[in-house]
Amino acid sequence: MNYNLVKAGLNLHAVLKNLEDIVEFDREMKELTSSWNTSIKFIVKRGPSATVKFSGGRCTVEPGIKGKASIVLWFLSPAHLNKMFDGTANPIPLKGFTKLGFLSKEFPKLTDRLSYYLKPDDKLMKDKNYLEMNTRLTLNTAAFAVPDIIDGDPVGKKISLKIPDGTVAMRILPSFHSVSITFSSGSAVAHKGDTDRPSAVMEMKNVALANGFLNGKSDAFTAIASGEVAIKGIIPMLDNMSLLLDRIQHYIS
Amino acid sequence: MKIYKYNATQKLFGKASKVIPCGIYGHYSPAPLVPATDYPFFTSKAKGSRIWDIDGNEFIDYMCAYGPMVTGYGNPKVDAAAQKQTKLANCVTGVPPVMVELAEYMTDLIPSADWAFFAKNGGDVTNYAVMIARAATERKKVIMVSGGYHGVSPWMQGEGHHGVMDDDKKNVLVVKWNDITGFEKIVSDNRGEVACFISSPYHHPTFADNEFPAEGYWQKIEEICRREGIIIITDDIRAGFRLHMGGSSEYFGYKSDLTCFCKAMANGYPISALTGTEALKSAASKVFYTGSYWFSAVPMAAALANLREMKKINAPKIMMNTGEKLLEGMVKIASSYGYNLKVSGAPSMPYLRITDDPSLMLHQEWCGECTKRGAYFTSHHNWFISTAHNEKDIKRTWDIVDDAFKAIKKKYGNKY
Repeated sequence: MNYNLVKAGLNLHAVLKNLEDIVEFDREMKELTSSWNTSIKFIVKRGPSATVKFSGGRCTVEPGIKGKASIVLWFLSPAHLNKMFDGTANPIPLKGFTKLGFLSKEFPKLTDRLSYYLKPDDKLMKDKNYLEMNTRLTLNTAAFAVPDIIDGDPVGKKISLKIPDGTVAMRILPSFHSVSITFSSGSAVAHKGDTDRPSAVMEMKNVALANGFLNGKSDAFTAIASGEVAIKGIIPMLDNMSLLLDRIQHYIS
Repeated sequence: MKIYKYNATQKLFGKASKVIPCGIYGHYSPAPLVPATDYPFFTSKAKGSRIWDIDGNEFIDYMCAYGPMVTGYGNPKVDAAAQKQTKLANCVTGVPPVMVELAEYMTDLIPSADWAFFAKNGGDVTNYAVMIARAATERKKVIMVSGGYHGVSPWMQGEGHHGVMDDDKKNVLVVKWNDITGFEKIVSDNRGEVACFISSPYHHPTFADNEFPAEGYWQKIEEICRREGIIIITDDIRAGFRLHMGGSSEYFGYKSDLTCFCKAMANGYPISALTGTEALKSAASKVFYTGSYWFSAVPMAAALANLREMKKINAPKIMMNTGEKLLEGMVKIASSYGYNLKVSGAPSMPYLRITDDPSLMLHQEWCGECTKRGAYFTSHHNWFISTAHNEKDIKRTWDIVDDAFKAIKKKYGNKY
C-alpha cells in the first residue's frame, strides 16, 4: 500500500472538491471568486491530478487534467502534494508565472477557508452556519473519497468487490444536502445530489445529527435504532460502504 | 387493525445505548431491521409461538429467537427436564452423567455421528471442526461458500471488518454456491493444502434468495473431497433438525465428516454440538478445546428431552407442513394485490422477498407493516417455523399479511 499515493488522491479528489461548495455557499468566498476566470491544474508525478476551474462565479473541481489551464502546479511526489495540504510545502508552478500574485494572495484566501471549515472546534460548531458548512463538506469528502479508497487502499479494494452494483443515496434531511455513490463491478463514482432510483438509502434526520453521525461522534447503530438515521434498500451496500468510509481516517482526519 | 407503538422499547434502548456497545449488539442489533422503528427490541415474555414486547404488544414470532425456539417457548416437556436437572446439578465439579446419555442419543439419531462433543454456541463448534480438520489432515486451508456464515471468529468474518486482520483470512478460500467447476479449480490450485470444506447444507445467506443444492451437487462435492482427502464440515447450525432429524446431510443424501448443530437442539437452552465420524475421533481427542460452561447439565437435559420430543412427533415434517400452508396462503394474498412474493429455502425456515422492487425497499416496508400488526417478520434473514405454530397462528398471520399489503397498495398504488 502506498500511503502517500492514496492520501494524495483523497486530498485532490475529496478534500479539494469542497471548494465548489465553499464558493457556492460561503457569501464572502462567493464574492471573492465572483470575478475569477481561471483554471488550475494540480499534477503529481506518479500520482493523481485534478483541475480546478473558476468561471461565472462558480467553481468546479474534477479529477484529471483535460483541457488548457491558466496555471499548472507541479508536485514532485504524492508526499509533496500532501505536505502542501498540511501547509508545510509549496507547489512548483510550471505555468502561470504572471499569476503568482493570484496564487500567493487570492487563492490562499479560499483554501484557508477550506481548512477553516474542515477543522472544527466546539466553539465553531455552535454556530449554525459553520455547523451546516462543516456537515456539507464532511458528507462531500466522505462520498468523493470512496473511489480513491477503492482504487488505492488494498482493504478497500477487497471490500468493494463485495458491493453489488447500484447507487447509494446519502441524504441529510429535510432536503439539506445529498450525495450519491454509484458502484459498478468493484469501482465507484460519486456525485452531488440525489438519485431517482437508489439501490440503498441512508437518511439523516437533520444537520446536527448528520454531523455527529458522519464525524463518528455518535454511535451509528444507536442512531439507526432510534430512527435518527434511517437506512433502507440493499443494506449490504451500506454495510460495506460504511467499511470503506472507515478507511478514510487511515489517511486523512 | 391495531398498529403497534414502541415507546417503552425506544426509552429502554436509550438507556441501553449508554451502557452497552451498540445498545444491542450482534444479530439482535436493530440495525438490519428496516426501518428499525417498526420493530420491538426487548421481549418481556414468551409462550408457544408468541412473544410480548415491553410495550405489551403481542407478536406471532417467525424468527423463533433466530432459530433456537423449535418446539414452542416454555415447552412443558423440555422445561420439566431442565428443572429436574436443575434440582440435581448444573455447573458443577465433575461431568454430569446426562452428557453421556445425550451423546449416545445423538449418535443413535444421526447416521453420520460416531461421537458427539458439546459446547455453547454455533461458532464454538465450527471453530472446533476446522481445528480438527487441520489436525487430521495437517493442512491449513479452508474452503467456504461466498455469503456463507459460520460465526464471528475473525477467519469467518469479511475482509475489512473491524478487528479482522489480513492474516486472519489468508487461509480461507471462497467458492460460489453450487459452483462445482469453481470448487474443482480451487482444489486443483491448492492441491494438498486444503483441510476442509465448510458449508451449510443449503445456501441460506442474508439479503438474498436461499438456494438448494443443484441436482448431484453434494454428491459431486463428496466425490472430489474423498479423492483429495478434504474433510466435509456441514454447518447445520441453522437448518439442523428443521429438515431431518438425522441432520440435513441425510435430507440431501451425502455423508458429512463433521456436523455442527446448535439452534434447534434444546429449544433455547444454551448448547451446541459437533458430531463426527470414527475416523476423526482421534484428531478430535487431540485438539484441546473447552469452555467454562460447556459441561453444564441443564442444557444437556433440555437437549435430550427436546430431541426426543422432536423425534417422537416428527418435528421437521410438522414444521415443513406448517410452513408450506402458511406460505402458500401468503403468496396468494400477495398476488391478489398484484405483488409477487417469492419464497426460497426450506418451508420450515423460509426466505421471502417481494420481487416487484429489486432494491428490497418495498419488501422491507411490508415486513415492517406486518410486524407493527403482530406478525414478526424480518426482511433480511430467513424466518423460522416451530412446531408450536398452529392453525390459529396461520390464519391470524394471513389477516395481518392482507392488511399490510392493503396499506402498501394504498401508499404506492400501481408504482410497483
